[in-house]
Amino acid sequence: MSEWWDYGLADLLLFSPRVYYRLFEIMNTTWWLVVVSALVAGVIASGLALRHGFRGNRVILVLLALVWAWCGYGFLWQYYRPINWAIPYLLPGFALQVVLFAIFAARPLPLRFGWRGDFSSYVGLTLVAFALIAFPFVGLIEGRDLLQAELFGSAADPTALGTLGFVLLSRGTWRWALLPVPLLWCVISAGTLWVMDQQVAFVMLVAVWVTVFCGWLDLKNGVTTKRLTEAEIKDPAS
Amino acid sequence: MSDFDRRKFLKSTGAVAALGGLGVFGLGTNRHAFAQSDAATDQPEVIQKTIPSTGETIPAVGLGSWITFNVGNDIELRKQCADVMSAFFRSGGRMIDSSPMYGSAQDVIGYGLDALGAHNKVFSTDKVWTSGDGASQIKETSERWKVQQFDLLQVHNLLGINENLPLLFRMKDAGQLRYVGVTTSHGRRTEDLIAVMKNERLDFVQVTYNPVDRKVEDYLLPLAYDRGIAVIINRPFRGGSLPERLKGEPLPEFARELGVKSWAQLILKYLISHPAVTCPIPATTKPAHAMENMAAATGALPDEKMREQIAAVIGVLV
Repeated sequence: MSEWWDYGLADLLLFSPRVYYRLFEIMNTTWWLVVVSALVAGVIASGLALRHGFRGNRVILVLLALVWAWCGYGFLWQYYRPINWAIPYLLPGFALQVVLFAIFAARPLPLRFGWRGDFSSYVGLTLVAFALIAFPFVGLIEGRDLLQAELFGSAADPTALGTLGFVLLSRGTWRWALLPVPLLWCVISAGTLWVMDQQVAFVMLVAVWVTVFCGWLDLKNGVTTKRLTEAEIKDPAS
Repeated sequence: MSDFDRRKFLKSTGAVAALGGLGVFGLGTNRHAFAQSDAATDQPEVIQKTIPSTGETIPAVGLGSWITFNVGNDIELRKQCADVMSAFFRSGGRMIDSSPMYGSAQDVIGYGLDALGAHNKVFSTDKVWTSGDGASQIKETSERWKVQQFDLLQVHNLLGINENLPLLFRMKDAGQLRYVGVTTSHGRRTEDLIAVMKNERLDFVQVTYNPVDRKVEDYLLPLAYDRGIAVIINRPFRGGSLPERLKGEPLPEFARELGVKSWAQLILKYLISHPAVTCPIPATTKPAHAMENMAAATGALPDEKMREQIAAVIGVLV
């Protein structure tokens, strides 16, 4: 008689913005050392990704695997799951993302991070910079305490947003594999934030749109299909 | 309202209001009679409503937990919820409602009942919300509330009703449950609910009703009244948006007769003055609001004419 599709988005959101943003405050104050470390990991990864050439490729992938693992366990499992029954269904996605980063780090697959100077690189840089630097202060604009800042590496939204930027800063035929989970998270989060009347919902949607657009652009320009040369693989600095 | 004697129904509405105004609850002749709480207790004098299927009375305002009690493991916020429950009980409240759908709300209620030692005060009301194993979900719900037996369990939004409603009736027959109900919200699936009300021996239904969402007045509430089904009202404040929209607006002059101090109280009086309504369940995060809500279940109630005025004024303002 009644089925799941009878429910609207607002029916399924069962927590208030007050409770949601308290999650970050508690996590930031309880796990501050890990939270800061995860943010620093993001800064290091972005520094490496923005260099010319592909040196530090493996370090970037390992750091991203670690922050996704922490974000999944620390934020989603420990804090978000008790108030959002949908989280257990989304956690496998985070686990998959960690596994993908780990596989890319462990094997010489054709995926490399590095500054190319094209449109997608600039968009990628913008997304990474926004996730690392601007996102924590979005709450201040909306009147929240700085202790409730959402930081890259621990909070899911800036982590997903920044990861989209990292992927756009990479090249190789397999980079698309790293897109579905953060894209899906951004869409779900945009819906959640929209129901909670949070303006930042639009940022998440814009990020999804520009990432898909740049992905298409790169596909057209051969960034994703062009295989790395043996020389590039052997000499990451080239 | 073709199946019912509308004149008789509206007449009883007026009678209820008159009883409220005169402060002589409990003297009505219909099975939905009001009663006043025992003056010997330390509880304030709160209007009681009768559960038609047994004659048991419960306070006319309850406490919802949708969104407000889903605070996770945040100890500070859990204590705030316990404070809300404490204020609610001290003001004479009993019915607390939750659902497996409400995240951590059930755990938080269990925490509050433990903290307050209030297991003997609560009229425990929850739901089964699954298309899978209802029995195991109910077991988990009991563990979260830390109660042995619920007073009322309802099939939430009619989900899996063909399996879950017989399960609840079996529990009731086995003495593991006192009352059985079915819920909907937002005015959806009303026709389905009406079909269930006509065909099953329900003790309770739960529906959305407030001065703006009045669809249930046409048929569902008279049907409940006629079939002796108690009615719980969810979203009495439209998820908080009604008082928010009315904030800053002066209360109408006629509200003085009812002794109300806020729009929230006026809305609750509008609801509990309906003879078919048993218990609205407003949710709140503030102890003061819990007390204010309970205070709406004291004193005079609006008559039918005033009820229409309340709906008209609020309809214009929102």
